[in-house]
Amino acid sequence: MELKELSKYSDAVNELLARYGVKFGIYKNHTFKEQLFPFDMIPRVIEQEEFASLERGLKQRVMALNLFIRDIYHEKKIIRDGVVPEEFVYAGSGYLPQCESVLPPQGIYSHISGIDLVQSKDGTWYILEDNLRIPSGASYPMIARDLCRKCSPQTFQKYRIDDNRNYARLLRQTMDHVNTGGHTVILTPGRYNAAYFEHSYLAEQTGAHLVTGSELIVENDYLYFIDYSGKKERVGAVYRRISDEYLDPMNFNEESVIGIPHIYDIYRKGNVALINAPGNGVADDKGIYYFVPKMIQYYLGEEAILKNAPTYLPYYEDDMKYVLEHFDDLVLKDVAEAGGYGVVFGSKMTKEEKEHFLTLLKAEPRRFIAQEVIDFLDIDIVEGNSLVPRKADLRAFVLMAEEPMVWKSGLTRFSRNPDSFIVNSSQGGGFKDTWVLSR
Amino acid sequence: MGIISVEHTGQLYWLGRYSERVYTTLKLFADRFDSMLDLDSDEYEEFCVRQEIPNIYTSKEDFASRYCFDEADPNSIYSNLIRAYDNAIVLREKIGSMALSYIQLAVYAMNKAKESPAPLLELQHVRDNIVAFWGIVDDSVDDEHVRSLIKFGKRVERIDLYARMRMNQHELKREVARLNFRIERTGLSYSRKKLAHINYLVEDAPLSYKELVEEIESLQEC
Repeated sequence: MELKELSKYSDAVNELLARYGVKFGIYKNHTFKEQLFPFDMIPRVIEQEEFASLERGLKQRVMALNLFIRDIYHEKKIIRDGVVPEEFVYAGSGYLPQCESVLPPQGIYSHISGIDLVQSKDGTWYILEDNLRIPSGASYPMIARDLCRKCSPQTFQKYRIDDNRNYARLLRQTMDHVNTGGHTVILTPGRYNAAYFEHSYLAEQTGAHLVTGSELIVENDYLYFIDYSGKKERVGAVYRRISDEYLDPMNFNEESVIGIPHIYDIYRKGNVALINAPGNGVADDKGIYYFVPKMIQYYLGEEAILKNAPTYLPYYEDDMKYVLEHFDDLVLKDVAEAGGYGVVFGSKMTKEEKEHFLTLLKAEPRRFIAQEVIDFLDIDIVEGNSLVPRKADLRAFVLMAEEPMVWKSGLTRFSRNPDSFIVNSSQGGGFKDTWVLSR
Repeated sequence: MGIISVEHTGQLYWLGRYSERVYTTLKLFADRFDSMLDLDSDEYEEFCVRQEIPNIYTSKEDFASRYCFDEADPNSIYSNLIRAYDNAIVLREKIGSMALSYIQLAVYAMNKAKESPAPLLELQHVRDNIVAFWGIVDDSVDDEHVRSLIKFGKRVERIDLYARMRMNQHELKREVARLNFRIERTGLSYSRKKLAHINYLVEDAPLSYKELVEEIESLQEC
């Protein structure tokens, strides 16, 4: 496929993205700044058959993860049966005791799952991370696709590409499926949140109301939106884009000023849906990631279709031994960190850094995982007038309504630095559209 | 009609006010600056008095630069445009990405004008984008309540600015007539007594501009 042709529209499309305020917020030196998210016109292209296999694997994984969260907060069979050690469940910050015995509407925990994958040079896809709390990023390829179709309609006529602009419809379907009666709202911490563009764009595209905590109130066991005249309108589903700890000062962090007092109490009673469910962090902890293939086997009786990157848990004696022997070949991740932070490559540490890190690792083995460095398949990006290869990952989105639905697209993030594997926007990365061919 | 919170009601109203303030002060500034070229006068001093903004400017050149572009001056046109943007950015799902994009384009045009050797020419693009914003609000915002809140803010601001600048009575009568039409569509509570007084003032001769400014400022406090 001759995609280089598309690069000539790069400036025009990036100008349009700037016009529509496609930005992300970032704090530097305690100052909030809005930055444009650089878009590269050359898409990641996934053939129909290849995506069908990814789709099966993603559905399988998200179904198992949902069953795991339900099990952990109810029967805990997977712990009793010795498949997942309890230390990994209860020691992680994602486990919330407040969620014990609470069943969300329709029994769904992870309504919107962002699964990060990379493709190695031999074509194998590996799961890097599961994001089951507030995964963001779908809005970027959605709006970019809309603009690309306008600038090069002939490309989209020539190649049959699944239209990814249906994300808003899938999201609406997901929210409506669990709505307990009333309006659907998207709860944002406000415009100084890094993903505020996404919050407002998804509200516009889904027809949901974008609200802040101060506009909602719990009264007589129900959630209400208060309009300008003081009239109360019932709310049945909240796609909340604020983290668990800030959601309800009466049940979680009491210092939160952006949450809604008692919202968790009425959620517990089944009177409102929270999307995604609180407590999901128990399943997307980097330590728990190691056990996902075992979960799939345990809950579904199937082999995992998608592979994890080869991972070691220094918590286990054998794995610690391996990590110490192969330290320079591994990437080490702090399970408490996110956004590309807390990731270090053994080979890039100085002697002093290595000594310091090893002391920490031996003192707190539960805090780290180690992974083989996967030689990602490079993807071309446009730089000046030429194409240059860069590392890239793919965030796939799985939405859960009556059944799991995999969005036929995804956010491809790339590193702009030729020597880096870190693709996060907060660390200077850019994004691409992801095309799934429909024939 | 969608549901609108108190917060969004205020933001829509102030989006209308600030967008109008940018549009009209750009026009007033351009007219005033043009006349200063021939008269070699410091008319900007009178401009500041009428606008009730502190005269922090050292010359007409300084006025031309800082009144338009100084980010640190809360009374500059730039600062007012940023306030319009700050209100617009939180209203995407109410006004739509298309309408919001024209406020964003006005900000880009303002930044470009600031760096331009011919800023007055470039500032025309700021005004063009504000006009386009109002046009798209009329054309594509379905919710009449949302439209009316923006337009109500716009009318209040225009009457306020026109009264401060002692514009002719005919123009003020026209703007007050538009206000009468719009205010009923906002669903907001307001002082009917004050509105009646505003209508009386614009018919009276000589027109008490000072009283008109006071009345319009206190008609609705969002």
